[in-house]
Amino acid sequence: MKVQRTEGRFHLHLSAWEKRLLFELLRLYPRSGSPRKSAPKPTHSPDLPASERLLQETLTEQRKENKKLVQAFLADPSRFQDTKAGTRLSLSQLEVEWFLQLLNDIRIGSWVLLGSPEEKRWHLDPETAPHLFAMEMSGYFESQLLEALEGDA
Amino acid sequence: MAETAVPEVLPGTIETTEEKGESSLEPGYLVICWNDPVNYMQYVTHVFQVVFGWARKKAEFHMLQVHNQGKSILTRESLEKAEHYVHQLQKYSLHATMERDE
Repeated sequence: MKVQRTEGRFHLHLSAWEKRLLFELLRLYPRSGSPRKSAPKPTHSPDLPASERLLQETLTEQRKENKKLVQAFLADPSRFQDTKAGTRLSLSQLEVEWFLQLLNDIRIGSWVLLGSPEEKRWHLDPETAPHLFAMEMSGYFESQLLEALEGDA
Repeated sequence: MAETAVPEVLPGTIETTEEKGESSLEPGYLVICWNDPVNYMQYVTHVFQVVFGWARKKAEFHMLQVHNQGKSILTRESLEKAEHYVHQLQKYSLHATMERDE
């Protein structure tokens, strides 16, 4: 994937297989993982558990809403323009941020499904291998977007 | 000479000092980001820039603090603002919590 920026928009140039892969990945959303292993619970904040619960409920609702938006996005052919090399997808800066959130949700959720390993020691079998694939591939797209955003800075 | 060296305390100056003392005693909440072995360092830096509007240097400083020390206190805010920031960070799948600053 190659990312170009013109007139405030990001243009993602995808080959046919990259487009297929991106679609497959986004269909996995939400994986709803959270990398929360090492943080202790706050010790002197009795009012916070309720607040955190509320935040989690809000996040769950947003993920449901996001799922609908992703489905609508993927079903909208006007989003994807055919080119000689494959497909061009144009995104605003806000949409790039949204994509980063989606891809990272899939990446972290896949990591959680792999057993949240501290090191890159995977226990691979037919059941876990797709999670590793999803984690690495969403990382691939995420890195490309981050590079484009950094180049913009 | 000793007498002239004593600074004159003006009423306005005293008021300003008292105001600062009061505001620092207001209850506040710390927004904390915790380390995890999975999020990219580049990603965490980017999220800090977006959520807090920080320059890259400051965002990188806090990202490295998270990475090296296990956590970083990102800001101290009112309950509502702290909740807002924690929510924003969690939307990006970062592990963020808040704690009352006593």
